[in-house]
Amino acid sequence: MSRGFTARKYFILVLIAGIGSALLIRLFFIQVIADKYILSANNNVLRYITQYPARGFVYDRNGKLLVYNEAAYDLMVIPRQIRDFDTTGFCRLLGIDVQTFIEKVEKARKYSSYRPTIFFPQISKENYGFLEEKLFRFPGFYVQPRTLRKYPLAIAAHTVGYIGEVSPAMIERKPYYKSGDYIGISGIEKSYEEILRGKKGMKIRVVDVHNRDMGSFQEGKYDTLPVAGIGLWASLDADLQAYGELLMTNKKGSIVAIEPSSGEILALVTSPSYDPNLLVGQVRSRNYAMLARDTARIPLFNRALMAQYPPGSTFKIVNALIGLHEGILKPTTAFGCPGGFSLGSGKVVKCHAHFSPLQLKQSIQFSCNTYYCHAFRNIIDKGSRKSTRAGYEKWRKQVWDFGFGHKFETDLANELNGNIPSADYYDRFHGKNRWNSYSIISLAIGQGEIGVTPVQLANLCATIANRGFYYPPHIIRAIGKADSLNSKFLKKHVLNIEKEHFDLVVDAMEDVVLAGTATGARMDSISVCGKTGTAQNPHGKDHSIFIAFAPKDNPRIALCVIVENAGFGATWAAPIASLMIEKYLTRKIQRQDLETRMVEGNLLR
Amino acid sequence: MLRYIRNIQGDKVIWGIVIILSVLSLLTVYSATGSLAYAKNDGNTEYYLIKQLIVVVAGLLFMYLIHLVKYTWYSKGYIIFVTFLLSIGFLAALIIYGLTINSAARWLPIPLTGLTFQPSDLAKPALVMFLAKLLANNQDKIKSLKIYLFMLIPIILICLLIFPSNFSTAAILFVSCLVLIWIARARMAHIGLTILAGAAFGVILFFLIMHYPKAIPRGETWKHRIEVWLDDSKADPEADYQITQAKIAIASGGFFGKTPGKSTQRNFLPHPYSDFIFAFIIEEYGLVGGGFVTLLYLTLFFRIVRIANRCKGNFGSFLSFGIGFLIVFQALINMGVAVGLLPVTGQTLPLVSMGGTSLWFTAISIGIILSVSRGLEIEAQEEKTSFKISDNLYATV
Ligand SMILES: [Zn+2]
Repeated sequence: MSRGFTARKYFILVLIAGIGSALLIRLFFIQVIADKYILSANNNVLRYITQYPARGFVYDRNGKLLVYNEAAYDLMVIPRQIRDFDTTGFCRLLGIDVQTFIEKVEKARKYSSYRPTIFFPQISKENYGFLEEKLFRFPGFYVQPRTLRKYPLAIAAHTVGYIGEVSPAMIERKPYYKSGDYIGISGIEKSYEEILRGKKGMKIRVVDVHNRDMGSFQEGKYDTLPVAGIGLWASLDADLQAYGELLMTNKKGSIVAIEPSSGEILALVTSPSYDPNLLVGQVRSRNYAMLARDTARIPLFNRALMAQYPPGSTFKIVNALIGLHEGILKPTTAFGCPGGFSLGSGKVVKCHAHFSPLQLKQSIQFSCNTYYCHAFRNIIDKGSRKSTRAGYEKWRKQVWDFGFGHKFETDLANELNGNIPSADYYDRFHGKNRWNSYSIISLAIGQGEIGVTPVQLANLCATIANRGFYYPPHIIRAIGKADSLNSKFLKKHVLNIEKEHFDLVVDAMEDVVLAGTATGARMDSISVCGKTGTAQNPHGKDHSIFIAFAPKDNPRIALCVIVENAGFGATWAAPIASLMIEKYLTRKIQRQDLETRMVEGNLLR
Repeated sequence: MLRYIRNIQGDKVIWGIVIILSVLSLLTVYSATGSLAYAKNDGNTEYYLIKQLIVVVAGLLFMYLIHLVKYTWYSKGYIIFVTFLLSIGFLAALIIYGLTINSAARWLPIPLTGLTFQPSDLAKPALVMFLAKLLANNQDKIKSLKIYLFMLIPIILICLLIFPSNFSTAAILFVSCLVLIWIARARMAHIGLTILAGAAFGVILFFLIMHYPKAIPRGETWKHRIEVWLDDSKADPEADYQITQAKIAIASGGFFGKTPGKSTQRNFLPHPYSDFIFAFIIEEYGLVGGGFVTLLYLTLFFRIVRIANRCKGNFGSFLSFGIGFLIVFQALINMGVAVGLLPVTGQTLPLVSMGGTSLWFTAISIGIILSVSRGLEIEAQEEKTSFKISDNLYATV
């Protein structure tokens, strides 16, 4: 025995033997006493069945159902588990011939022999009940319940969005999802995915070798119940939305209507659109490809949030307000209009015929280009004594404050920034210190490099209606309960422009409708305030723009209508806007002939 | 061939145990990977069997070759020092590699081969060899605090390097080293203080894991594992059902098991071929099979202690005891996890679990013990012959 090896080794030997005994006792204990783990039969297997929760419904602001679920059942097959069985009986049950059966099984086997494949998609509810009783005779087959989204009104396709099977990349990023699960891909379905989807549950069933369900495992002790998805109340007014879509039939463009006092979007129309029921279930990918191929109408493009137009004359209001705030314009400031504004070297910004000279209110009422060229030049040149660049940056910051040039970052999926060019952009375009207020004079009348989205213009209108503040436009007003307000977006954004300036602009916008450029929007019963605009379109006929709100006092609706290739703002956009206002405020249309003319107008050819 | 078999020397019982465990390894891996083979190799069930067969045969070959080397060769200073430095190098490389892939890694990829290896598998025997040498060289001064503290340095260094990626291995190695030092007659008071310090470190660590899991690498995993172990009801049936599944496997095995190849729980156990292989063995071979495997490891340990006891040199004695304790301790931990006595640690069952390099290092370690054992036999032989010679001498005189 070695010198260093002491009697201590006996202690270790006893210790190891003790641990070994503890193991054996524990084994015996689990085996004999803890029978809770013992399964009823030796050859049973446990099957983990995912319990899919019902996805939350979506309602409009008045509780009308926009999106709900319909149950569907897919017959699944795991080829490896197929055993010999009565094939003809099975085929009779499904109403298919044996040849089809063999082909389908072969196809499934080719995909994978151990993973479930859809054998027969979307069995009806009646067939499902009938089939389930008999299915134990056909090992390898089982039924997977599914939910299909349904859109009873078939409106607001872009806003509600759609769901589809989750992609492998998404499964990797979010392990909650398993292959074959559904996930929101666009619109509300995407923005509110985690609220709508609920939480999956898990049921553990004991299944014997004959594929027979032998009941739940441990009386369901380890089961978890699915938690149903939570319902959403959109701020949309379904009637107004449907009416807007009707008015935009055979036209390209969009309508965005906002409740000024809350920022809630009442209607978000983009045209051409599609029936949301097209993107549901088995036919989704085929129909999606069909819609994506339609490059003439581009129905998948959400113009209301993504199309960027020069705002045209509607932008004169922004310049008027900035000028008033800076003290560069006074209500009495007048400029004469000789039919245009000379830029020197023969170039002229043209204007149309009207009386002259005009004061500020009249400049809005008659939309004088010359007036705003003078005003804009003064804003840029007198805004800062330092340089054109500093004056421009100051102006740009104020425009930004109106909500232009950036997203609202609320719950609108896929909105775009728009574009208010930076001074750097002009430096690159003209060269550093080589541009002045004349170089960028088209911004005075909302033309040139500037780009705004319809929702941004609607927000401008809501800001004017509020006389100086806005709530960021959003689409969901309540989560879970109809009367619970979604306070997340109720953050008041107050502009640093005085209320009296807005009062003046509002009066001018009233004159626009009463006796200015948009008399087509006039109604006897409702005082409408508006402003026309025309977005220059280098590729074809100009786009017709109109922003309006009503009533003048305590406005309840502010909207922006853009009709592409429709020319001057008053011809199409203004009447459509007034019909929308009439519909929302009175729920009834008196001017049937105007409505018919608008609905039937086809500008797509 | 026969010549090689005749060349097999050392403790025959240990050889027998290793062979039985190797066969068991092949049987269980083949059966347990049935579902894995379906998932990964489209039903090619032989793939994992052949892979494991190659691993096991290579392991036995390594063991055979190692045991042929005279064990005093392993006590050479440069051999010990080089393996020790290599271990530190690989462990450091692992930590750096872990930083580049942004998570604590246990396996280091071997470039160009597609294989991986666990540096701690090398570090374990290397540290025990180093320690056995220190203990043997300083037997006369073993009671001095200075020598004791000096011996703690390599232990703490290696354990700290292993710790970030593999807490349980670091803990097992630390405990094994302390036991070895204690066996080598170190002062009780020194060891007691070390255990107290270790316990204090453990308590602080436990507190940190439970309250600030984000402060430690892999802290959240550990917190979760401990919570599941402490409380059955926290086991989430979807994600954390492995312990329940292991218990179902054990309970459904019965006294004689479901017979090989009939396991149903292999589809539910997360790693039936490594971490939970013991539960799987019990399901297929029953309480009888599980008890037999436990007894195999206990017998292995008793045989190794017998070798250590008989060895004349201190180095061989400490070396075989240290390595033997480490292997059997790890086996007991793996089995303890499977039967729910301990939280999930990720320790494999030595010589049985699937996994190439880990099995090889265990085989090499046992080869070293067998080399010590072979040395004993040769010494006994020489004693006998020298006695005969002297006997003859006496007779002729
Ligand atoms: Zn004019």
